[in-house]
Amino acid sequence: MNYKIKKLITNWRVILLAAFIIFSLIAIHPTLSEGIAIRNVITNSSASIAGIPQPKPNVQPVARERIISINNKPINDVEDYYKYISDLAPNRTIQIKTTKGIYKLTTKEQFETIELNETEEKLIEEVVQRNVTINGTIQLINETITKKITVPKTIRISKGTEDIGLRVYEAPKTNIRKGLDLQGGTRVLLQPETKLSPFDVGILIDNMKERLNVYGLSDIVIRDANDLTGNQYIIVEIAGATEEEIKDLLARQGKFEAKVGNKTVFRGGNDIVYVARSANEAGIDPSAGCSASGPQWFCRFRFSITLSQEAAQRQADATKDLTVLYDQVSGRSDYLSEPLELYLDDKKVDELNIGADLKGQAVTQIAISGSGAGANNQEAIFNSLQNMKRLQTILITGSLPVKLNIVKTDAISPVLGEGFVKNAILMSLLAIVSVAIVVGIRYWKLIIAIPILITMLSEVIILLGVAAFIGWNIDLAAIAGILVAIGTGVDDQIVITDETLKGQTASVYNWKEKVKRAFVIIMLAYATVVVAMIPLIFAGAGLLKGFAITTIIGVTIGVFVTRPAYSSFVEIMMK
Amino acid sequence: MEEQKQQNIQQKKSVKQTLFEIYDKKYKLLLIIPFLILFLALMQISYQIYSTGDFIKKDVSLKGGVTVTVPYERDIDIIQIEKQVSSKFPSNDVAVRTLRSVGTVVGFIVEADIDGNDKAQVQNLLNAIESSLKVDLSKVNYGIEIIGSSLGASFFRESLIALAVAFLFMGLVVLIYFRTFVPSIAIILAAFSDMVVALAVMNLLDARIGTAGIAAFLMLIGYSVDTDILLTVRVLKRKEGTVMDRIVSSIKTGMTMTLTAIISTLVALLVTQSEVIRQIMLILLIGLIADIFNTWIQNVGLLRIYVERKAKKGIIL
Repeated sequence: MNYKIKKLITNWRVILLAAFIIFSLIAIHPTLSEGIAIRNVITNSSASIAGIPQPKPNVQPVARERIISINNKPINDVEDYYKYISDLAPNRTIQIKTTKGIYKLTTKEQFETIELNETEEKLIEEVVQRNVTINGTIQLINETITKKITVPKTIRISKGTEDIGLRVYEAPKTNIRKGLDLQGGTRVLLQPETKLSPFDVGILIDNMKERLNVYGLSDIVIRDANDLTGNQYIIVEIAGATEEEIKDLLARQGKFEAKVGNKTVFRGGNDIVYVARSANEAGIDPSAGCSASGPQWFCRFRFSITLSQEAAQRQADATKDLTVLYDQVSGRSDYLSEPLELYLDDKKVDELNIGADLKGQAVTQIAISGSGAGANNQEAIFNSLQNMKRLQTILITGSLPVKLNIVKTDAISPVLGEGFVKNAILMSLLAIVSVAIVVGIRYWKLIIAIPILITMLSEVIILLGVAAFIGWNIDLAAIAGILVAIGTGVDDQIVITDETLKGQTASVYNWKEKVKRAFVIIMLAYATVVVAMIPLIFAGAGLLKGFAITTIIGVTIGVFVTRPAYSSFVEIMMK
Repeated sequence: MEEQKQQNIQQKKSVKQTLFEIYDKKYKLLLIIPFLILFLALMQISYQIYSTGDFIKKDVSLKGGVTVTVPYERDIDIIQIEKQVSSKFPSNDVAVRTLRSVGTVVGFIVEADIDGNDKAQVQNLLNAIESSLKVDLSKVNYGIEIIGSSLGASFFRESLIALAVAFLFMGLVVLIYFRTFVPSIAIILAAFSDMVVALAVMNLLDARIGTAGIAAFLMLIGYSVDTDILLTVRVLKRKEGTVMDRIVSSIKTGMTMTLTAIISTLVALLVTQSEVIRQIMLILLIGLIADIFNTWIQNVGLLRIYVERKAKKGIIL
């Protein structure tokens, strides 16, 4: 027996299986994490001002930032959190302790401004720059003037405390990402009204991501899907959002405006004819490059956009009265006094300096530049390019005047989802146990039934591990796929057992030959399952893609990892 | 007393023996059973097409419409509610089902093939559910799924293409490996029969089929082919024993495979509360039961005819 165990743990197939299981457990990373995890941070909210970062979508679930306590009061679940938050008074400072640090937040008071039907006069101060001749030289002087303007009379009514701007959920206990139907949320399937090239689809998706990011939603999946007849779809999935929220976001036009002073110079769409995106037209500015300033590195990027004639004229009109700013530090006069401000759906998203040479010129080709910072050269380059891409995306927004029709929406309440998870686990376990019982009765040998049970469980662990590792969402369809994979796995183990045990009496063949014969049947069955699943990856807007891919990954792991280990086990124990 | 016992055992043995003899000798006659089942199933499907215009009863995922899932932990009179909701949508198809988990009600599903883009219609449906159940939907965290009718139709078309391509690919793999026409066709026919029978039984049960159901038919291809491949490999590629010995050994292995699958789908069917899984498991269960006939009578019969013909030509397998 000792000899057999030694042989078993030195068998490379068994070692491979063990390695896969260990790797999977590391990937799944089960923890006993308590508290609540941050899903989203709303832009410009108290939380965002206090510096709580928006979670990155590719962060592993267990590595998410979690709230531990607020004002030293431990927060154990979502209910605790909302109860505490709803009792806060405005303009108070609270301390939120998370797994990443301590943040001091000041709660804001929420006001509603009501415009009355009367007007009032108001004095405002404005800084203007004037060229004044002093002692014969022309100099630029800042002058503050007081203006009297008429505005509609308004009153502000306090509406209590503004939400601090955190969207939270129960901290994930493993790295397995639950699909939408298991955790609640909304999925919307959109179809572009006109056919788009793959390149345009890419831009469209970037745009939508950018737009949803502006609104502080991070737990979003946006992907494109095609079907066999060539229909195009865009799938948007937002965990924990309601259907109304998603529809509202998608209904927004993604209105882009560039303003100088308060004048709109150009809008996204027709005004911007072209945005340079190719590598030789856009990138790190070769003339400025990167430089270190203290502990930080800075890089500048540049790319050009082409405006329509009318937009160019508007830009000329808006800039002709501006002054050239003299920069005391560099001793140069590079920029105009007013920056070009970029607005997306009336939210300011960026500000660019306008080159002095553009003053009053109706140029259609304008260079847009910006910068990015990082701890080292590489990081600075990466961040600059990231910022550039974001800006390009914003500029193109609206320049794809394609209407998206909502063709399907699924809204799954988290309550239903939670029930589904528990139920799916129960179902899988009972199915596995019942298979083990049938096999146990058939062979009447624990040495066969237990390894089959272990193999089934290890297939579940490895499949979940792979899913956690590649960030694949486990939804109901994927669970069905896991069940198929395990089911065919059991079939194969029965084939292996029968092929090898049968020969025990009539030992015509040696073990190697017997295992080989079992694998002929297994490989053929494997090939038929895989080819049967392939069309499903491409069909029907990819909604059954999860099922098909999980099945294919599952049977592949089974055929190449778990079944060889099982056959080695049977060989060693039965020989 | 002792003698009688002995006799009983002998009698029992002889029943088993006769059955085996019939199975061994009358395999051509036995072929009537699976082909009759196949014929009846095809008749049912033709009738279904004739009476409804479609060969399956599509659910809203293939037809377009609205599905509302409401958690509700009390037993309700479904037929009553279905009547009440339907009365408000006389021209539409409304179905109400309970969601059960291990026998207890956990909620229910209302399906209606109304236009999901018509907000007023959707609201009407929600109101109808609220009034017939006397629940405030805004307080119970319900789920709602809306599918446009053109998308439903395209899903259906797509699924059929996927199914056809999958079937074709499977057939090709089998043909490439065995390189003989009759045994390969026997395998493909067995898989085809499984699917047709499962479809007909689903129709007889008046069960709706959606995208999940299509996935189930694909799974069925995989499961049904497993046993057929096992049988054909053992009969054609192995040399030990007689052809019948090889068939018997295949039955031992194959029935264990099918039984484990049947038991686990049965368990899943009873335990699950997800409509997606329920539909998949029901189709698999019916298909697997059909597979017992289609593999061990139909495929075996055709394979033996093939082997016999070869023997006549002097090729002994």
